[in-house]
Amino acid sequence: MKHKIAGAILLTILSLTTSGQTGQGTLTVKGEVGLPLTITTAGLSEFRHAEANMKDREGNMHKYTGVSVLSILDSAKVTLGKQLRGEHLKKYLLVKCADGYQVLFSLAELDPDFGNKTVILADRVDGKPLPEGKGPFRLIIPDDKALARNSYEVIEMIVSFAKD
Amino acid sequence: MHNLQEPYKLEYPANFGNMIYIPADNPLTVAGVELGRKLFYETALSGNNQLSCASCHKQELAFTDGKQFSTGVDGSSTKRNSMALVNLLWTDNFFWDGRAKGLEQQVKFPLEDQHEMGQSLNILSRKLSEIRSYPGLFRKAFGTATISGELIAKALAQFERTLISSNSPYDQYLAGKYSPDSSQLRGMKLFFINPQPEKGIRGGACGHCHSGVKTTSQLYHNTGLDTIFTDGGRADVTGQTTDKGRFRVATLRNITLTSPYMHDGRFKSLNEVLDHYSDHIDEQPKLSPFLKDLSNQKNTKGLRLTLQEKEDIIQFLQMLTDSTFIKDPRFSNPSLISQ
Ligand code: HEC
Ligand code: HEC
Repeated sequence: MKHKIAGAILLTILSLTTSGQTGQGTLTVKGEVGLPLTITTAGLSEFRHAEANMKDREGNMHKYTGVSVLSILDSAKVTLGKQLRGEHLKKYLLVKCADGYQVLFSLAELDPDFGNKTVILADRVDGKPLPEGKGPFRLIIPDDKALARNSYEVIEMIVSFAKD
Repeated sequence: MHNLQEPYKLEYPANFGNMIYIPADNPLTVAGVELGRKLFYETALSGNNQLSCASCHKQELAFTDGKQFSTGVDGSSTKRNSMALVNLLWTDNFFWDGRAKGLEQQVKFPLEDQHEMGQSLNILSRKLSEIRSYPGLFRKAFGTATISGELIAKALAQFERTLISSNSPYDQYLAGKYSPDSSQLRGMKLFFINPQPEKGIRGGACGHCHSGVKTTSQLYHNTGLDTIFTDGGRADVTGQTTDKGRFRVATLRNITLTSPYMHDGRFKSLNEVLDHYSDHIDEQPKLSPFLKDLSNQKNTKGLRLTLQEKEDIIQFLQMLTDSTFIKDPRFSNPSLISQ
């Protein structure tokens, strides 16, 4: 088990989400997770630090800092690592944003033993909090060629499995 | 299986995609759609027997009513502009603020709202039970003559899902059957392209939000209409101040027929809409990041489209008018057809 239990204990555990609504500036992690999480910017330090440089649409380089999405999934006790076999390979991470935008990743795409894709939940750009409309959390996927999955205003991460 | 009713065959072009919303417990049937259509035009649906859904959603106006605000049973005005009912099969969150999930839930709002049709579903069910033809029609559609709010909602939802507009000149162009004129072609390009002044590329960036063949991403954005919000929009649903002034990206299908424009019908013409996007976007913190910092000229803010460019975009928008949709007999008032 490589879950960061210690980190998870410091987080508020969601006992019940009534309508899928989240509080101001929080991110909920739910679905096929062992431990649902509610994450605030203050609680971000409990996860593994991560940073990446990425060009914006205009071609200017920026430095994004935040935490590794993999470490969030670990804390939420998602079936990664040795558990990611058999039926668990049908699972995906769906990321939802405040404007309704949604993108997804297969768990295998993220897992270090498979795709090992770096996905960062960033809360800062060039050392400053993200601007309104993009923050408090956004995804940064340094290796994606297109920018479209680098979603703004992330409010939910839902682990689920394909049903077809 | 007791439900052996004839299924209703939905037809739409492949490029519309199959991300459609039909709940498992309300499949479309010929009898269900026909009942929904009759109900849509039924004035008994309102407390004073004077309004039907069609009072505020007229087929010839792509199911809008041409007014800034609509008038309800109590004579008061609706808070927002009536919405076009088009391609709802692909929609999941309804109203300008997305407060209703699913059409079955959505229809209960106008029916019960005191300022719209103003009648409880129970009273309505009883009323319809006493109108000669309805119990039989419900039996045909749902296998029971016992009318309930739930079945009324299901029938209306079935009919609304059939309101597909996919035969505009733009669709014909995509199918290789229509040749746009040069202004329409320029407008189409401007509509979909993001400006890149450093490369000398001019654009209107409309397609970022009015995206795909259905011309809407269905997401919630602040288009910079206001700095002070009399209508919280999406924020009234989520409770998040960051959602203030955000509304669902509107479909632009049949847009020439659905004036006035925006959630509060503030713009009378497409010229006014284009002037807004081009020249009057408030540089306010809540403006969508996809409209912020858009510029067609280095070191200037705003799209600043030329008169010709605005006209070209409007010429392209005209290509989205589907004259077969507004005349389709399957969507018209059934009681007006003499058979
Ligand atoms: C008094 C005028 C009025 C009547 C009557 C009325 N509507 Fe509406 N309708 C509106 C307005 C105004 C809106 C937008 C309201 C909002 O966003 O808050 C709307 C929105 C809608 C939408 C949302 C469309 C979308 O894309 O999200 C649907 C669907 C709809 N109406 C269907 C109906 C049906 C079905 C009936 C009859 C049961 C009906 N309406 C009766 C005025 C009316
Ligand atoms: C950032 C996303 C976004 C972009 C970019 C955008 N729109 Fe919109 N558009 C919206 C939203 C959201 C609404 C509804 C706004 C409201 O009612 O408050 C809307 C409404 C409209 C309407 C009115 C629809 C109706 O039924 O009343 C028209 C027309 C329109 N847009 C045209 C355009 C054109 C032309 C462009 C490009 C110059 C454009 N839009 C760019 C998001 C966008």
